[in-house]
Amino acid sequence: MEIPDVAASKEAEASIDLLAIVLDTNPSQQIVRQNPQNLTQILEAVIAFGNAHLMQKAQNKLAVLSCSHYTTEFLFPLPGRHVELRQIDGQYEAFSLVEKTVKQQLGSILMNAPRLSAPCESLLAGSMSMALCYISRLQRNVPAGVKMHSRILVLTGSNECASQYMTYMNVFFTAQKLGIVVDTCALDKTLSLLQQGCDITNGQFLKVNQLDGLLQYLLWVFLPSPQMRHKLVLPPTPKVDYRASCFCHRELIDIGYVCSVCLSVFCKYSPICTTCHTIFKTPGPLPVKPKKKKKTDKQI
Amino acid sequence: MADDEQDDQKEYRWETGYEKTWEAIKEDDDGLLDGAIAEIIQKAKRKRQADKTKQNRLGMMRHMFIVLDCSESMSVPDLKPTRLLCTLKLLEIFIEEFFDQNPISQLGIIALKAKRAEKITELTGTSRVHLKALAGLANVSLTSEPSLQNGLDLALKTLKVVPSHASREIVIIMGSLTTCDPVDINLTIDELKRERIRCSVISLSAEIHICRYLTQQTMGTFGAVLDDAHYRDQLLSQVDPPPAAKTQDNSLIRMGFPHSKNEVEGKDAPLSMCMCHIENIDEPSELSTTGHHCPQCNSKYCELPVECQCCGLTLVSAPHLARSYHHLFPVPNFEEMPYESVPPAAPDCGSLRKCYGCIKVLSPVTDKSVFKCGYCKQFFCIDCDIFVHETLHACVGCNTIPGVAGLVYQKQGGKAASKAAGNMQQQQQQHQQQQAQMQLPSTSKQRSQFNM
Repeated sequence: MEIPDVAASKEAEASIDLLAIVLDTNPSQQIVRQNPQNLTQILEAVIAFGNAHLMQKAQNKLAVLSCSHYTTEFLFPLPGRHVELRQIDGQYEAFSLVEKTVKQQLGSILMNAPRLSAPCESLLAGSMSMALCYISRLQRNVPAGVKMHSRILVLTGSNECASQYMTYMNVFFTAQKLGIVVDTCALDKTLSLLQQGCDITNGQFLKVNQLDGLLQYLLWVFLPSPQMRHKLVLPPTPKVDYRASCFCHRELIDIGYVCSVCLSVFCKYSPICTTCHTIFKTPGPLPVKPKKKKKTDKQI
Repeated sequence: MADDEQDDQKEYRWETGYEKTWEAIKEDDDGLLDGAIAEIIQKAKRKRQADKTKQNRLGMMRHMFIVLDCSESMSVPDLKPTRLLCTLKLLEIFIEEFFDQNPISQLGIIALKAKRAEKITELTGTSRVHLKALAGLANVSLTSEPSLQNGLDLALKTLKVVPSHASREIVIIMGSLTTCDPVDINLTIDELKRERIRCSVISLSAEIHICRYLTQQTMGTFGAVLDDAHYRDQLLSQVDPPPAAKTQDNSLIRMGFPHSKNEVEGKDAPLSMCMCHIENIDEPSELSTTGHHCPQCNSKYCELPVECQCCGLTLVSAPHLARSYHHLFPVPNFEEMPYESVPPAAPDCGSLRKCYGCIKVLSPVTDKSVFKCGYCKQFFCIDCDIFVHETLHACVGCNTIPGVAGLVYQKQGGKAASKAAGNMQQQQQQHQQQQAQMQLPSTSKQRSQFNM
């Protein structure tokens, strides 16, 4: 009975868990605008959560990225910067290093930020792609025989923006291909795109109802590794709607027409594709009425 | 296509001048070869990247037959362990990759056994069927000669009835140097040409005239493999969708977007069986509440994409379509720059030069050249350059720095596509619209059109 246990524990020792946290630090988030103190609280929770992850196993790795309104920067680790390390209050040096670097770096990002005149979107998809670059570099350099399980946790209170749709999809498919789990912790609103991403990569989506208990949510839901999660009772995943919306009216449709050249989706038959201007061969049973043609011309 | 023909004219390697391949490797000051070798690897990686042709009109819906030689010559152990086993291993990778990159395409496999052609799998869109069939091929007895013509005829018979808007392809993997055909093979080649079916050949032994002729006539590619790594490259180059044939018909295809019925009027959905496994004896259909329902006839399927067996509607989900968009809007190639051109970081960060994507500290020895995106002006290491272009399909810099208008080149891609359609007036209108959008990215119509 004990032999498989030993084998399992050896395997666990030989594997590295990498957690990349993408933290939305955009000041135009609703929760930050209501109460700027919230950002401090979120930051404290993230640092504690990151340290909890490092504490689980000596081989575990952590990366923290900040996605603010003007730039995406790594908060931890920072190659090349030497922070003096001394034990404070008996805390393990690695933990105080995380706290110190993250706070210092975020401070300098916020100090250098240009003034914000109007609320603007956070480029979360881009930040996630940067996290993927970092993860893929570490995965390339893993010594033979060692397995690396990576995941990305996104913490955000922003709205999502349709303009990033393509980048989001590219990020999700890349993550799926590399076996990286995408988890999302929505602090304010339900985000349907990130929800799709979690579903594609077998990650966990969670909308936090009470910001006060953020650390508890994080520790309960996101700290266990994805391999362990199926043994736990976690919040059920809501059903994700994968229906397409047509390019002409932006309505969710059940049956649509897809252009064979550019794959645009339309809800009605039209003789010319409005995206790539391809002229279609008219199928037999569908006579084209001139009225419809007018309609599509307007949309061009 | 003109380029291809020029390529075909080039002389064979043994006809070219004498190459001193060892002179490319030079020792550095410490007498080490690391730098030189890293450089050669980098060059090879970059070359593959640059070779990718940029096309705006691609045959996205592909119907492909793989014709696999299963004759005596496949037992030759020049590829380890044998040609057949090596091929099967690589085909596994190919099939996974093919469906990953071309989610709404279909694949079928034909085996050439003892002068006969046998269809191993029908045209389907699920990789599982093919992988299972491939595993069965490992123990097939390899005897006699193959018949190229019988294989082509069988593929042709099936591909003839495929709708004309789809791109139709045959990929032939030949181990044998000979073919044993019932009648004149030129008749078959003429028919393939008429039907505009693109045929590509990968030869495991040597270049064969009739195969070369076949690929020239049908606009395909021909390759003879050097070793297993080269074989892999040749095979995986078939994963990218080919440029759409000029004569290919364009049409709007009716598709269904199923939504799972989890709850009907507050109650759990009733137990039902899926259509895809209903006639499958090995894995019988299981009663379950989950599944994708055809919006037209309401039959249930457990996997997408699939063609509805009852009403013939193609069922897909929005991410399947989105997965193909990167072929249409590729990231433009980065510019190669010397190491010194990277601006060092601030002195408090140690004045290091870092890669923008993976924050790797660049070293002057191993990163002699770095890569710069022409839009966001950020510098990347070679690995990130390859990762961005081959896997991620989105430039990290353009997507993290606001104001760069990260999707500029995607818009340009759209513009070029409209040029191809030759509608100048509409193009100008679109151009003006785009300019307006660049100033107001958040209200841009073009950008949000990918909202699904």
